[in-house]
Amino acid sequence: MKFLTTNFVKCAVKGCQSSTESFPLKYSDCQLVQEEQEYNPEFLVHMLERLDWNAVIQVARDLGNDSLPPTKPDSLDPIMEEDQAVLKDLHTLLVETQIVEGRMTCNNCQHVYHIKNSIPNFLLPPHLC
Amino acid sequence: MLPTPEVKHIDYDTVYEPSEDSFLLLDCFEQELSFLTTKFSTTIPIVTEIGTGSGIVTTFLQKNILQKAIYISTDVNPHACKTALHTVKVNNADSESEKSEKSKNEKSTPELVDICQMDLVSAIRPKIDVLLFNPPYVPAGEVPTIPNKEDDSTWLDLALLGGEDGMVITWKVLDSLDSILAENGVAYILFCARNKPDFVANEMTKRGWKVKEIIQRKAGWEVLCVLRFQRL
Ligand SMILES: C[S@@+](CC[C@H](N)C(=O)[O-])C[C@H]1O[C@@H](n2cnc3c(N)ncnc32)[C@H](O)[C@@H]1O
Repeated sequence: MKFLTTNFVKCAVKGCQSSTESFPLKYSDCQLVQEEQEYNPEFLVHMLERLDWNAVIQVARDLGNDSLPPTKPDSLDPIMEEDQAVLKDLHTLLVETQIVEGRMTCNNCQHVYHIKNSIPNFLLPPHLC
Repeated sequence: MLPTPEVKHIDYDTVYEPSEDSFLLLDCFEQELSFLTTKFSTTIPIVTEIGTGSGIVTTFLQKNILQKAIYISTDVNPHACKTALHTVKVNNADSESEKSEKSKNEKSTPELVDICQMDLVSAIRPKIDVLLFNPPYVPAGEVPTIPNKEDDSTWLDLALLGGEDGMVITWKVLDSLDSILAENGVAYILFCARNKPDFVANEMTKRGWKVKEIIQRKAGWEVLCVLRFQRL
């Protein structure tokens, strides 16, 4: 599961739908692997528009990375050298970082989901469906 | 014709084998290429295939139709999830010649596909821009329950059996379409004649959806079609 995907998944429990605590999930015991991917700065700039930045920061912190800027970097220009460095870092974090094994916990209901072989499992036990 | 993804080394006792329905979807998207690329020319869409199975349809879209997109596809079947992820990886491991060909032409985009084990779209946060579903559409007494062990022998039943009219799972998706789909979103769902697609199209039109049949084909004794749903 790519780091990027943590921005798009939440707790599957019905009762948590309306809770702001059910996203992002809390990541723990994670095993990370870097997977080389095509670097396309223009695409990355557009991709950033789709992200909830607070969730990016929170999950990065769960995984031991405290170095992200507090607000979403905007108007990045792939031509500018400074911005290039920022984009390259974001590429490494969001696109190339894979969570291969780990746990995801809902901050609202405390249900724990597992990631195995890069696949997060959101199936619920019958009493939670 | 756009290239069909490679699907190899798949255990078809546990994962749905790409069949007439899967290939009809591929042809459907080949037909929809310009519609989709135009629609999402300025934004990066979130694309979700429910019940991705072997991953053939998700991979086809990612490789050939919407390269600049974020994919989160789902399946309840753990074997399907593993297989689909494998299919994505195999088809994105370019040969050297392909690579040099690419760098000559345009900047290529990263492969942004993840496969989640999930019931329908229950854990996906954002509204979905492109939804696709080749559902379990065979009429049956009931929808099988989800096994609780990975080595259960009945996972494949979930690929086929769709309860009354073969529509039980599909209606779950259609009934929640309004909350799943982005404002500008579009959903493609496959039906067989016994699902009464005309009735479904009528019903959804009444509920305020624009419904269009994109493609139809006779497959053995089945007639299959794909309907496209959008907001009016
Ligand atoms: C007809 S197969 C289609 C497989 C593949 N998309 C294709 O076209 O070849 C239906 C798939 O839906 C999955 N499925 C069934 N019920 C589901 C549910 N509630 N949520 C997610 N996937 C489901 C099955 O496991 C199966 O892989």
